Amino acid sequence: MAQGEELPLAGVRVLEIGGGVAAAFATRWMAGFGADVVRSDAGRETLGRDEQAFLLAGKRRVGAGDTRLRELALAADIVVEDGAPGALAARGLAPRDLLRAKPALVVVSLTPFGQTGPAAHWRASNLVAHAAGGILSLTGVAARPPLQNGGNQAWMLLGLNGFSAALAAYFGALMHGEGDWVDISAQDCAAGMLELYGPRAAFDNTEAPRLGNRVHAIWGIFPCADGFAGVCALQRQAPAFFAMSGDPALEDPRFLDPAYRLTADAELGALVEHWFRDKRKRDLLELGEKHKVPIGAVQTPLDLLASPGLAEREFFDPVVTPAGVARVPGRPYLGVPWRAGELRAPAADTEAVARDWLGATP
Amino acid sequence: MKKLPLEGVRIADLSMMWAGPFATRLLAEMGAEVIKIESPRAWDNVRTLLPQPGATEPWNTAFYFNDYNRDKKSLTLDLSQPRGRELFLELVARCDCVIENYRADVLDKLGIGWDVLRKARADIILISMAGFGKTGPEKSLVGFGPIIEQMAGMASTTGYGDDGVPYKTGISYGDPIGGVAAAGAVVLALIARRRTRRGAWIDLAQRETMAQMLGPAFAAASLRGESPVHRGNRDPNFAPQGVYRCAGRDQWVAISARDDAEWQALARAIGAAELESLDLAGRRARHDELDRRIERWTALFLPREAAESLQRAGVSAAPVLDCNAIHQDPHLAARGSWVELPHPKMKAWKQPASAWRLVEAKPLLRRHAPLFGEHNREILCGLLGHPERELANLQAAGIIGDAPIGAREG
Repeated sequence: MAQGEELPLAGVRVLEIGGGVAAAFATRWMAGFGADVVRSDAGRETLGRDEQAFLLAGKRRVGAGDTRLRELALAADIVVEDGAPGALAARGLAPRDLLRAKPALVVVSLTPFGQTGPAAHWRASNLVAHAAGGILSLTGVAARPPLQNGGNQAWMLLGLNGFSAALAAYFGALMHGEGDWVDISAQDCAAGMLELYGPRAAFDNTEAPRLGNRVHAIWGIFPCADGFAGVCALQRQAPAFFAMSGDPALEDPRFLDPAYRLTADAELGALVEHWFRDKRKRDLLELGEKHKVPIGAVQTPLDLLASPGLAEREFFDPVVTPAGVARVPGRPYLGVPWRAGELRAPAADTEAVARDWLGATP
Repeated sequence: MKKLPLEGVRIADLSMMWAGPFATRLLAEMGAEVIKIESPRAWDNVRTLLPQPGATEPWNTAFYFNDYNRDKKSLTLDLSQPRGRELFLELVARCDCVIENYRADVLDKLGIGWDVLRKARADIILISMAGFGKTGPEKSLVGFGPIIEQMAGMASTTGYGDDGVPYKTGISYGDPIGGVAAAGAVVLALIARRRTRRGAWIDLAQRETMAQMLGPAFAAASLRGESPVHRGNRDPNFAPQGVYRCAGRDQWVAISARDDAEWQALARAIGAAELESLDLAGRRARHDELDRRIERWTALFLPREAAESLQRAGVSAAPVLDCNAIHQDPHLAARGSWVELPHPKMKAWKQPASAWRLVEAKPLLRRHAPLFGEHNREILCGLLGHPERELANLQAAGIIGDAPIGAREG
């Protein structure tokens, strides 16, 4: 594994304007990878304490009026914001104006519905943004309402895209000398990743029902002895799954035929459910590993915090919070250097950032 | 017109299924030249997972494959044969990045692991996207997106709350999350390489990128020992919120009252003005009752009618767009979010435009997904400089091909 000495984004200046989860997540990994991320605090903190522990580690924090904010934006390499369309312009920081003043700047705007279009100014919670992106309609069971994911996924997905898109645009600025304004909507991000269901509907109008936890008999989540576990077997893994089961009913050779399985999905599903019922997660995972079958177990954050595998891979970072030391996901991947970060108080770095970025003296 | 940011970047794409191809679709949208490499004997399974009835070349006519592999080139190479590997390494020498999402042990078994790739090009960037990473005691677990979701904590946080059941996301959520993260990892490594002149081997465990999406839940778990609470469609910070039935079959609208003002507007809109003075605590206490009042009103309208009416009143609301409705959504249409890209073997369908709208560089869909082996000549003869006559020999040896060997023809 190649490990350089220097952090990959050392020397890169990032200004986060907004206060929401999306902008804060977009810049979270930038801070860990070495960028000098400066968060301009909103008037009222909208992030919860757990969100702050995860999203703000490693960032400097400033209080800035509109004039100072514009100066900071023009001293930055990347600006990430998640205000409503037009909110930056109202503060004298219209992205097009910033780019005219500094052509190599990258401005990333993260919103529920984007900067243009008839719904651009629609109000949205995480749920509302999630609903507009298509994923919600597919999650849950058909007899009940569509179901949101845990954990503000519309905003997190928007922030994740913000991170990768910002770096892409910044690389373009390095290579070609020109930045850009990147308009990313939560709706677009989700609408373009509807697995096979989106393209299929676009192609032949096939409806996609909510399938709950069972897409088909050997692709789903089932109750097991100590919780819930799952299998996701394609045709190529089906023989190994049936063979490893040790259950004569599942080893019925007719189930090897995908066409037969389609006609016997309910029967097979009942057998699979029965098979899972008395198995423990740990044993199931061992079986899957041994037989190269995709087997999973539903794990909670507490389970993951206790995972020897994640500990060996040093996945979690400690973050000192007023309530104690939190352990939160740290580096998203191995292979480039990463630093854990500390939490700073609101506006704690106003003077230092003015000095470092603007050469201002107190 | 500005250049796209990744113009001039070339990527050798060994990835298959969804996570890796989603990453390389994003990179292609940003201007990278993505060369998708499949073996005539081991092709991307998504090509043939859902064959079109009656299709004569099912591997070229799958909307599922073609949606996520547009703007790429196709090179076939059997990497299990020495000549196939030689040609691959010749290509690597002309690439900036190799991306793969094989099971953790496969790249080395093919004889093209990190050390081999570095010999082909000293500053190569390798992105490995095994589900559980390349190291650690769980590296040999096998995982698709839904498995990743279970193992990363996501499924444990999703549920109606009254049945104790954790739910999978309706898509294989782990895949595109890994894909977006991998696209960022490629660019991050490119940025670093520009300065250090060194490549990198990024070990991206899809389970770990998925767990990042629940970051705050780990703070709650580690600080207070909290386990996930299944909230259904409610929110811990405001009320009421929910997904409410509308007129029509399986039609729904999502509504949130994020503060007192939005609640007051909602209460008036649904004819419940007598409740508009309820504060947050009161709304929480009577959430079930409020849900019934809201749904009594929404049931009179189509989702869009309800959402537009509520938005005009100052309430957060949107139709729950299903996979058909989303392709008819007027807002997405106005934004040009769907593009009907011509394809030589099938009718056009609405494919998603780039979600990363570079306002000035304007990424556009350029080309349909490649036919199997469509760019063999261009890459082997054009880019790598082999004589045309070698193509026939490679084809005869099964090293390249223009159809998967053993795939069902329609």
